[in-house]
Order: sequence, then C-alpha cells, then structure tokens
Amino acid sequence: MGSNIEGSRVQFRSGNGGSKPSEMGFGLEEFPGPVSVTQQPPGSSFTALLELPAPQAVELLVNSPDAAANEESQPKPCITGSGEVPSYFHPPPPIFPSDIGLIVRASKFSVFASAENSNNSSLFNSNSNKLDMVKQEPSDSDSNPNSSSLATSDQNPNSTKRKEREKKVKDSHRKSKKVIPNKASEDSGEKLPCVHVRARRGQATDSHSLAERARREKINARMKLLQELVPGCNKISGTAVVLDEIINHVQALQRQVEFLSMRLAAANPRIDYNLDALLAAESGSLVDGSIAGMSTSSLWPDAQHNGNRQQYNQMWHFDGLHQPVLGREEDNRNFITSENSLISYDSSANSASLHSSQLKMV
Amino acid sequence: MKARTGYSTSLKQEFLKKWIKGIRIYSNFKKDMNILERKKAIKLSADLAIASTRNASTRWSRTLTANISKNETNKIFVEQIFSDSEVIKKEAPSRLMARSNRIASKKIWRRSHITQIKARKMGPYAVKARSIAKKLVKNRTKVLKSLVPGGENMDGISLIKETLDYIVSLRVQVDVMRRLASAAENSTRSL
Repeated sequence: MGSNIEGSRVQFRSGNGGSKPSEMGFGLEEFPGPVSVTQQPPGSSFTALLELPAPQAVELLVNSPDAAANEESQPKPCITGSGEVPSYFHPPPPIFPSDIGLIVRASKFSVFASAENSNNSSLFNSNSNKLDMVKQEPSDSDSNPNSSSLATSDQNPNSTKRKEREKKVKDSHRKSKKVIPNKASEDSGEKLPCVHVRARRGQATDSHSLAERARREKINARMKLLQELVPGCNKISGTAVVLDEIINHVQALQRQVEFLSMRLAAANPRIDYNLDALLAAESGSLVDGSIAGMSTSSLWPDAQHNGNRQQYNQMWHFDGLHQPVLGREEDNRNFITSENSLISYDSSANSASLHSSQLKMV
Repeated sequence: MKARTGYSTSLKQEFLKKWIKGIRIYSNFKKDMNILERKKAIKLSADLAIASTRNASTRWSRTLTANISKNETNKIFVEQIFSDSEVIKKEAPSRLMARSNRIASKKIWRRSHITQIKARKMGPYAVKARSIAKKLVKNRTKVLKSLVPGGENMDGISLIKETLDYIVSLRVQVDVMRRLASAAENSTRSL
C-alpha cells in the first residue's frame, strides 16, 4: 500500500522539487500528471486542469487509503483529555489496523441496522461547515480505518457509531471496485450542475447527507491537490496543519514579492533596464519567437565578438526568453544572467560586455 | 506533455512582457523616482501583470486589479496598460454575502442541534475533540481568506481553488522577478 501511495503521489508531483526556485515554475505544470490538457482558453486552463485532477484525485483517495487516512483522522478519545491536539492528525500507518478493522467489521457487519448508520452519517455530514474539512468526519471513504478501529477496541462499548463508520470505511477500502463506480458517478456529477451520488453500502441516502458527502469529497480532493502543490505537505495529515503550511507558503511568497521588488528598485537607479530591448523586439513581431529567432540565427555567428551589438542584444535578449520553449540549443545562450535561469547563458566572456551594453542602454 | 511544459513558460513570458510594459509606462509617468517609488512601481506592475495573465477569470485576479484601481492615480495607469479591457470590476459581492449569511444562519442552528445529538451518542470526548479541530480549521481558513485577495466571501471549495491558482501565479511572479533581479545585479556588479 505504501508503494501504491508513493506511486500515486509521484504521478502528481513528478517535477515538483519544491526547494529550488528555478525548478518550481517548470515543475508545476507536471503536477496534473496523468491528466490531459483540455481545449480551454489559456486563462482558465489551469482551473480546467484542476477540474480534471479532482476526480482523479478522488479516485486516488479511494485507492490509497493511506492518503485518505492521512487526510482525515479521528480523534482518539483516550488522548482528548491530555489536550494533545496535533496528535489527532497523525494517525499511525493504516496497514495493520485495517486488518483489525476488517475483522471487526466482518464481525459486526450483519449486526447493526443501517438506520443507525443514516443517523450517524447525517450527524457528521451536517456538522460540516463552509470549509469544514475537519478530520472527524469519517463517514466517507476518506476516513481512516486505523484510529477508528483502535478506538473501537479500547473505547466506548456503546460506540456503535464508530463501528458503523469503520464498516463503511472498510467497505470503501476493500471494495474499491464497488466504490469507484460510485466515485465515477459522483465525479460526473461534479461536473454537471446536479450531483448524482450513489450511496455506498450502509450509508445514508437522504439528500442532505449525500450532498454533504459530495461536497466534502470535493473539498478533500482539492485539499489533496493543494498538498501536492505546497512543498512539504505530503507527509502531513490533518487539515489544520496542511492549512497552516499553505498559509505559510502564501505569506512567504508574498513577502518574496516585496523583497524582490525592493531588490530590483535598488539594483538600478533607473528602472528602464531591458525595456527598450524588449519592446523593440516585441513591437516588431506578433509571434515573437519566430521573427526574433530568425533574426538571431542570422546574427548568431557574430555573437562571439564584442562590438557594437546593441541592436543584436535587443533581439537576443527577448529571443532568449522564448528559446527554452522552442528548445533550440544555440539560442539558449543569452546575456542577461549567468545563473541557471529561464534565460540561460553560455560563455561568461561575453556576459560582462553584453551586460554593460545592454543594461546601460536607456 | 509538451503543452503542459509550454504552459508555465508561456505564462512567465506573458507575465514578463506585461510587467515590463507596466514599468515602462510608469516610468514615463514619472521621471526620477526615488527608491521607494520605484519599488512601488515595480510591485504594482508585477501584481497587475500577474493578475492580468488570468484574464479576470479568477476571483483573486479581479480583486487584485480592483484594489489597485481604487487608487485614482493608479487607475489611470491601469487603464493605460490594459486598454484591452481586462479590468473587470468585482462582481456583485452583495449577492454572495446574502447567500453566505443565509447559509451561516442555517448552519448555526444545525450545529447547535447536532452537537446535542452527538454528545448523547458519541460521548463527550469525541465531540470536544471534534469541535476543537473544527475551530482550528476555521481559524486557519479565516487567515487564508485574508491572505488570498478576494477570499472573504468564498466558500470552502472555491477558496481552495482560488488558493491553488493564486499560489501558482505567485510562484511564477516570484520566479521571474528573482531572475530579473539577479540579472540586474549581475550586470551592475560586473561593471
């Protein structure tokens, strides 16, 4: 199971190093891994990508109980007294408990009426708030088997509810095949205006709980995406902690923007830098890459010599931005920066002179 | 795969173009800015540029543009850059407010009712733990809403979506800015 989760995770995070800033941008587009790009306007393509991974993520949620378990954790009632809140959200690996759970479930399966279940799930479902991704709502497939099963074994003997929940969980985990059609119907429901949710075995069928469950699954799927996106969130289980990480990340990014703009302001007495260069290239071409590319390729043999290359610089500078896309080896050289970047550079000898000529021009 | 690889890169290029364009307009507006003004101009152009890459399809981009346009001087600047009418004012917040209020009141009743039932059936510990966790999540959601522009009135699902989009765009912004900054610094250093 562990390897399955890793595999499914890798699918999403294939390019996402997380730590290196230069990689981040390129790694990002890899994360909707198994999904194909749809024909949508570029402005909304990202959100379109989000829509598609969501059902897939949901499927992954179903198939990877570990991931699911990591997302939701039931509070262990025995720990409640000590006030260790964080421990709620770090359930032990679900492998062995699921076996226990299966046994418990098998024993209890025929005993409890579904009426109790409906009561149970409606309670949990209706408790969900706007952004209620609280982990104690295990009536979905996303609930964790481990703590619930453990809880049943030690705690309240009258916790028929918990057993019911656990039963549902086992249903979803073991009978993933059964669940996937449910998910599929729910997924298709997500894309349509009205949600068609099939009730799983032993679960409530009233519209409220179904809607709540669909909603909660949507939220969980998206949260999973967020976890993939924010570096370092994969190992964490529990919404509150993940949200914490997300908040930190957003704050850090915003702060970085501030610092960087300050840095840029300080670096140059005038903020025109490559403006003329870019705009000369930009105004001259509709499809920037092609026209600029053509001019650079013809001028490229001269690149090695210093000299009056001002007009060349203009083209090349802008062209260098596009070359990584077109993947042309020669054009990847550029004169803006010597570090590994969008605009990669080739020979340092040229850089100094070109920097000066290019960036000084006003 | 190629489409996806190109997407982020083209996003960066788009952002860079718009950003430089904005800076240029700003500097034409006002010659000889001191460092703080420059920084403000840079940041403003960057924010506008990254918001415009979304073509007003997301809430945060609309809010960001609207917030910048609130300032009168900026407004002219904004309209100059985005003469291609990307600046859409924020849509009817009142409608969403009403809906969220209704939802909130219904949920308050439900919550109080449910807690009683749960306390009876589940035992006190679990309910308390549940409510603690919920409180935590709610607090953090509030913080997140304050961070993401335009996040105040959104419900959970859209908030996450917006956050995702916002994070991606922020990353693009930071990435391009960082490269430009180090390029500029390299140039001044090598002189």
